[in-house]
Amino acid sequence: MTNKETAKMTLAAGVATVAVARADSAAVNKALETLKTYDWGADRNALNPIDRAIIATHGDSAARKALEKSLVDALAGGISRSAQDYVCRKLRVVGTRQSVGALAALLPDEKTSHIARYALERIPDEKAAQAMRDALPKVSSKLKPGIIGSLGTRRDKKSIMLISKLLGDSDIQVAKAAAQSLGLIGTSAAVKELSKFAKKAPANMKMPVGDACLVCAEQLLADGEKSEAVALYKELNGDDQPKRFKVAATKGMLTAATKK
Amino acid sequence: MANQKSKPAKDRGTSHGRRTFLKATVASVALPYLIPASAMGKDGNTAPSNRIVMAGIGIGNMGRGDSGTFLGRGDVQYVAVCDVKKGARDGAVNKVNQKYGNKDCKAYNDFREIMARDDIDAVHCATPDHWHAIIVIEACRNGKDIYCQKPETKTLREGKLMIDAARRYGRVVSGGSQRVLGDYRKTVNPCWNGDKGIIKSINVNVGPLPKDCNLKGEPVPAGFDWDRWLGPAPWAPYHPHRCSGSYSINGTSWRSFKDYSGGGMTDWGAHHFGGATFAIDVRELEPEEVIFHNENGKKFATCRYPNGKLIHHNYPGRGNLHVEGTNEKGPSKPVPEYAGSGGIYGDFIDCVKTRRRPFRDIEFAAHTATVCHLFLAAYELERSLKWDTVKQQFVDDDEANRLVDVARREPWVI
Repeated sequence: MTNKETAKMTLAAGVATVAVARADSAAVNKALETLKTYDWGADRNALNPIDRAIIATHGDSAARKALEKSLVDALAGGISRSAQDYVCRKLRVVGTRQSVGALAALLPDEKTSHIARYALERIPDEKAAQAMRDALPKVSSKLKPGIIGSLGTRRDKKSIMLISKLLGDSDIQVAKAAAQSLGLIGTSAAVKELSKFAKKAPANMKMPVGDACLVCAEQLLADGEKSEAVALYKELNGDDQPKRFKVAATKGMLTAATKK
Repeated sequence: MANQKSKPAKDRGTSHGRRTFLKATVASVALPYLIPASAMGKDGNTAPSNRIVMAGIGIGNMGRGDSGTFLGRGDVQYVAVCDVKKGARDGAVNKVNQKYGNKDCKAYNDFREIMARDDIDAVHCATPDHWHAIIVIEACRNGKDIYCQKPETKTLREGKLMIDAARRYGRVVSGGSQRVLGDYRKTVNPCWNGDKGIIKSINVNVGPLPKDCNLKGEPVPAGFDWDRWLGPAPWAPYHPHRCSGSYSINGTSWRSFKDYSGGGMTDWGAHHFGGATFAIDVRELEPEEVIFHNENGKKFATCRYPNGKLIHHNYPGRGNLHVEGTNEKGPSKPVPEYAGSGGIYGDFIDCVKTRRRPFRDIEFAAHTATVCHLFLAAYELERSLKWDTVKQQFVDDDEANRLVDVARREPWVI
């Protein structure tokens, strides 16, 4: 009998434990129990059964769901920062919308915001992006660049308006992250916001906005939006632009010219 | 290189500093006794005004060696160092000032201050791996060429972003494995000379895989900016083994741990896989599949390229850099070499001057690291994976795609 078959049988029997191979379930439950007291300096190997369970349950949605629920329950159960760190790393791989609530609860806290994003950024479910969008206006300026960056990395189109409002933020880290992420999102709507802001950008934002526009143009070109990309390159090739942007824009236009 | 006709295509804003001062002073006032002939380049050496102005970022361990090599070059003027450890900074500044007999070298804790200096042409970076992409991309944005130690990337996503930044701004970006050309000629030359016939595969034996780190915290030593050392990596308490720059990969150095390195797979792997991709001439390509093998508990893996060539990792019974070919005599082709003089460092400096791509161009270097990261993903998930080289994603595997990158700690974004 394979591990997956055993896992399914365990679930079918209604056993409220992590559904992995029968031989391993006791070890997994022991590891989950260890999480309650796990802290910096503890033996990392004590958690290895959970790592093994993640591999063993691949492709078995029921077993995965049970494993994920155990991790989410652990996260919500008042565990140490080190244990939270471990759980979020695992949810990065196995997390679904089931995990989002528990992870989102960690976003406003400066100690846990990043490790929550460590999972949320990589969970493809839209609910993960929504949790970060919802958190963005509420978190401190220190945490904003991280959430903005995660939304940009996801190319989350729904966050464009939210992020563009932060281009003029008084915290330069927030404003730079906003420009960079709009560049990564790289859609027509993102370009529109960047171009609008570029006309009034303060001196310390001209470089980040110009760079973001170049990244946007490349993304538009890659997405087949040639005419929009060329229009953006022309803006960046204007007389008022720094030489480095003009050179880059000229190169971009040459690249665009060779594209069908 | 402010006075050279072939100066790098970059806007420098308002020029300032020593070179401008020197130029203006020479133009307006005769000071024959104050400016030595050597400073004017009249003793056969490169005049300071024509040297590549460089700074170093991350100057402990490997960075110390890189710094010393660049500092020893007559065509380099070394002007600044950056490190999060005050002791390393101070030591490096003293070394530079002793070399030039002045006190011009500036020390920084934040690399962005170096990036903001318009008088610096190029930087070298030997920070832990989790910083590489941020620093390389920021250098390109700021019109600086960069020599970055290996392994150049920490995640699969970083490679393309670094290549794109280099190409966007026309920067010279060299990877840092001196061994790719220096150590593997016995493997590379027969392949390029046609002695192996049609190459089918090459094997690399390297390890170990990186580990999670749960070391208990200790007080942060005075003069060590621990938060900046961690940078984009998850917060963790200070422990000397977590951040030691030692070359060991046994749990007593950052090279051992997942947050800062890919372990032996990327650390020595950057050399070995760099040599392997060079030998079988797939430097311009990325694999499109990684095949995970588990034969009676013996785990090993194979990367397959679009042209059918294979790179094995830890193939049972095969030696490191063992090449499998058809073994009939095939056509030969010239083996690429470094430009300039002084190995990989000279190659970089020569390319900064000529604007050619270096031997270890970021594209080749990042592709090598991609091989390492694909193997790491296959071992982590214990299954075979298909890699879309255009989309930079795994094919039909949402779970594997989560491993393509990591969320960075605020405020760092790439």
